[in-house]
Amino acid sequence: MNDSTIVTDSVKRFKWVGTRPIRPDGVPKVTGRAMYGADLKLPGMIYGKVLRSPHAHARILKIDTSKAEALPGVKAVCTSADLPEQKNEFIGPERVAVNFWHVTRNILAREKALYEGHAIAAVAATSASIAEEAAALIEVTYEVLPHVIDVDEAMKPGAPLLFEDMKTRGVEPEPAGFSNIAKRLEFVMGDIEKGFASADVVIEKEFTTAAVHQGYIEPHACVAKMEADGQGEIWSSSQGHFQIRALTAKLLGCKIGDLRVSPAEIGGGFGGKTIAYLEPIAAVLSRKSGLPVRLQMTREDVFKGTGPTSGSSMWAKVGVTKDGKIVAADAIFRFQAGAHPGSPVMNACLCSYSPYDIPNARAVGYDVVSNRPKAAAYRAPGSPIGHYAVESVIDMCAKAIGMDPLELRIKNVAGIGTPTIAGPKHAHAGFMETLQALKAHPAYANPPTGANQGRGVAVGYWFNGGGESSATLSVNADGTVLVATGSPDIGGSRASMAIMAAETLGVDYNLVRAIVADTGSIGYTHVTGGSRVTFATGTAVVNATKTIVKDLCRRAAMIWDVDPEGVIWEDGFAKPAGANVGDFKPMSLPEIAGKAAATGGPITATAGVNAGAQAPGFGAHFVDVEIDPETGRCDILRYVAAQDVGRAIHPSYVEGQIQGGVVQGIGWALNEEYIYNDKGLLDNAGFLDYRCPVASDIPMIETILVEVPNPVHPYGAKGVGEVNICPPMAAIANAIESATHTRMTHLPMSPPRVLAAMSGGK
Amino acid sequence: MTARVVFTSGFARKYTNGVREFDVEATNLRGVIKAMEGYFPGIGHALEEETNVAINGELHETGYFQLVPPDAEVFFIPRIEGG
Repeated sequence: MNDSTIVTDSVKRFKWVGTRPIRPDGVPKVTGRAMYGADLKLPGMIYGKVLRSPHAHARILKIDTSKAEALPGVKAVCTSADLPEQKNEFIGPERVAVNFWHVTRNILAREKALYEGHAIAAVAATSASIAEEAAALIEVTYEVLPHVIDVDEAMKPGAPLLFEDMKTRGVEPEPAGFSNIAKRLEFVMGDIEKGFASADVVIEKEFTTAAVHQGYIEPHACVAKMEADGQGEIWSSSQGHFQIRALTAKLLGCKIGDLRVSPAEIGGGFGGKTIAYLEPIAAVLSRKSGLPVRLQMTREDVFKGTGPTSGSSMWAKVGVTKDGKIVAADAIFRFQAGAHPGSPVMNACLCSYSPYDIPNARAVGYDVVSNRPKAAAYRAPGSPIGHYAVESVIDMCAKAIGMDPLELRIKNVAGIGTPTIAGPKHAHAGFMETLQALKAHPAYANPPTGANQGRGVAVGYWFNGGGESSATLSVNADGTVLVATGSPDIGGSRASMAIMAAETLGVDYNLVRAIVADTGSIGYTHVTGGSRVTFATGTAVVNATKTIVKDLCRRAAMIWDVDPEGVIWEDGFAKPAGANVGDFKPMSLPEIAGKAAATGGPITATAGVNAGAQAPGFGAHFVDVEIDPETGRCDILRYVAAQDVGRAIHPSYVEGQIQGGVVQGIGWALNEEYIYNDKGLLDNAGFLDYRCPVASDIPMIETILVEVPNPVHPYGAKGVGEVNICPPMAAIANAIESATHTRMTHLPMSPPRVLAAMSGGK
Repeated sequence: MTARVVFTSGFARKYTNGVREFDVEATNLRGVIKAMEGYFPGIGHALEEETNVAINGELHETGYFQLVPPDAEVFFIPRIEGG
């Protein structure tokens, strides 16, 4: 199990919230019967294959598909010519501004191939092997162009341009020239110069991080079936089937209502499955062939053709007084966007200082395109990268003034009313409580003392999300309850939704079943991402359940022939109240459900919410490491993660989220990286060479669940899925520094790099 | 009831001639957006499409229905999404 501690000051006791029932999706998963994206097979289904660019950067002069089309068994071939052109304009807010001119070019390349693995064309045939053979028969004439991979190189004047007419947004006046810098951002508060002038110690440092992939186990896969009347169905493994429907409709030029998308079971996403890659292509192939088409990626496709998170080049500077007050901070974040604009650099700007009360701060961000796959969201996108730089420098400041690194953070922690660099003041508590809980861990007072051992501390902040969600509850004739939502279950949401419904109804959790409904069966629900589902979809579930409770009281009143006001709902029973007390025996949910027809028909309720006032995520970690002085290998001896979780609806899942985020952070810190050769081609597109941590690499991650309830959620829940990946990289770098007196300024801190740094090299 | 409306400097440069703070009479976000639209025609669409909003620090998607308490700070910030 788990060395978990729950720190709570709650006096309220719940029947189901906070318990650990067996996960409802467990049996089909462990018996291999769960239906993932590639498991659906329809009658007449054919198989697709995407042809991908072998070049990092090349102009596409001609695509000849005639030989592929002539191959027996081939039913359809498609290129970008089969998708309508889109306007070159950014729609929506900065961080998520969508430019469909770019999106459609990422789905299928048009004028240029912008990275190795860029989709160029696709075929569908009666077997996967014929499809593969046909894809190889597509003749593409390329003019190979100079490429640029590194973010700093891409920003230099004279760098190969991915888009010859791209100007940097966010710069006034508009630049005269063209650039790979898609956007510049700047956020400021206070007076930077004055702040640094008041500091006793000022430390600055440059950092770089490698692009890393989300590493989900299940490659992207879908089945599309388009009909002659223009309507269609898609089965897809994604973090949001409503998002898949909207993107596919936009890229195909059809109406949203003409598509129905069903969620498959999902084998991991971590942000990387919030967008569409295959679905529009599969839909085109199905439309052209008149047959259902399955399209799935190989692991190599996933690495080369889907978005990792950004690599970066950063500079951070922090000023502190001798007594430990952080008085100023400054940073520049240069993020790889990949081949199209849209890195999460804004989040790095906004999150990196948010744990603290820093009166004077500035954050500058650059969104930079280069010949890599377009960056996609990855767990608290952008925040972990920024935290790596800022938390490293804050650690250096702590050492410089001789203060315990956790004490320095406690001394400067933000609270309710502390301004953030985004502008608004913090509105939720929990940061200080989390730091104190970490400090109170029995091991904190006993840092490792062995040779080449050291301890590091770091914290992390993430906004967390809210937004639109829908839920429908239906009571069956025997009193069992169905909870349907539109949120794909990645982190245990079926269990948490059922728990919240059972708690609100006062019935046994085992009588409640939760499902993820398709786009034709439930109202719009935003993606499972941003740590939003337990908060937002959970609120919708509780609201729908409360409507059901009112309806049950109304029906009981009808059965007893009393006024509805004379009935209350308590512990799963309708009970007479007021003047009716003692007149009737409490009536159970099954009893009322059995009279559904007589009392007005099916007992069902739907709720839709746009949930706001979500509380942010905050985590504080310490890690003990030992460095092998001969190889540079970093062993994680102990890892303790404290996180403000609001209220743990199902603590085992919450612990799993924290442990998962930490392990991904350990991989990001120590081993994972995209390695490109001098031709701009990816050299490690597989799990053998792209080294994710495995169970034998790490100890049990110890978790501390700090419960500072969110007052606006019915049960106090806060998002828990993302902030846990923010501290590990800095915490481990700080631990390595403690162990070796060597500051690591590049991720990953792989053994050769640690060894070289210890030897005085970079 | 009066609310203090605050924009980021970038948004203010683009839509309000650089002025970052306004006092408006409103009880919900619809009222705030309507009041700002009165000052700067077209800004309402930008607020709805480009921003999130923090009402006394509490983050929301920019909509109409959210209540604005008396003397609240209504801070419009760039929209944020996660992974």
